[in-house]
Amino acid sequence: MTVKAFSADWAAAFKDEVNKSTAYKAAGKGWKWTVGLVVEAEPDKHFAEARGIVMDLFDGEARDIKVGPASDAQKCDFVITAPYSRWKQVATKELDATKGMLQGKLKLKGDLPTIVRYTKASQEMTECTTRIAVEWPDETTS
Amino acid sequence: MARRNDQLKSEPKKEGLVDYADKEPSAFATMLGGLIEANVEGRIEKRKDFSTLVARVGIWVNDIDEGVTLDFKGRGGWLTVHNGLVPNRTLTIRTDAETVMSLSNLKIGPFGLPVYYDEVGRGVAAKLLNGKLKIDGLLANVMTLNAVTRIFSVQ
Repeated sequence: MTVKAFSADWAAAFKDEVNKSTAYKAAGKGWKWTVGLVVEAEPDKHFAEARGIVMDLFDGEARDIKVGPASDAQKCDFVITAPYSRWKQVATKELDATKGMLQGKLKLKGDLPTIVRYTKASQEMTECTTRIAVEWPDETTS
Repeated sequence: MARRNDQLKSEPKKEGLVDYADKEPSAFATMLGGLIEANVEGRIEKRKDFSTLVARVGIWVNDIDEGVTLDFKGRGGWLTVHNGLVPNRTLTIRTDAETVMSLSNLKIGPFGLPVYYDEVGRGVAAKLLNGKLKIDGLLANVMTLNAVTRIFSVQ
């Protein structure tokens, strides 16, 4: 099933993928912080308003992933911010999230040693996003 | 390894453990500087190395074509981070982004030596053997590399 990018359906599919991943279950063991992804608006790409994805991750499990206003995501323990097209590049494997962070293409806020300790878990989470069939607003013909 | 033992007793500065040589530090420089600062502030055992280490360590990340130089100045704990590689480096690490992350995930074992026999350590050692991780100046500066690894490691 194809879902609209960064929609409630996308969040549900993402949560399913994370919880299906044995690699994430192992790599995320001990994680106990919330993660917010801020998807900045790019009206020229038909992504008119910023959105926030709030991920309640605990000990290798995604307890909840929901989409709401960017301000909700900004309150999380760790916040990763990027424009819509960058997140699309990550989800389509055009941009490696680790490289993106080192290059400042994805902006990270939060305790660096903790996030570095869980590099493998964050890589697997990125992998999970690539397994979702997504309808991208800038590719939709109407 | 160049160390200043006379500074062992002096307390690291409470502020400004890390500064940046460039007006606009690169994202990579900010990230490594921030990582080391958080590591040193949060882990007392890393303080001794940080307080006394005098070395200029370059890290070049091949797949993002970016690098930094970490200029550890001793003086009770002071690091200046430069964008790119600057001259007179003690060590230069050249590898990919993933391996940089692995280096910071190396566990520190007995006698303060990095652990190369667990999964992460074996991965790093394999990259060193197959040339995907190159360390210029390694042979003459093994102790310095171990000290940098201890400071850099989040484990």
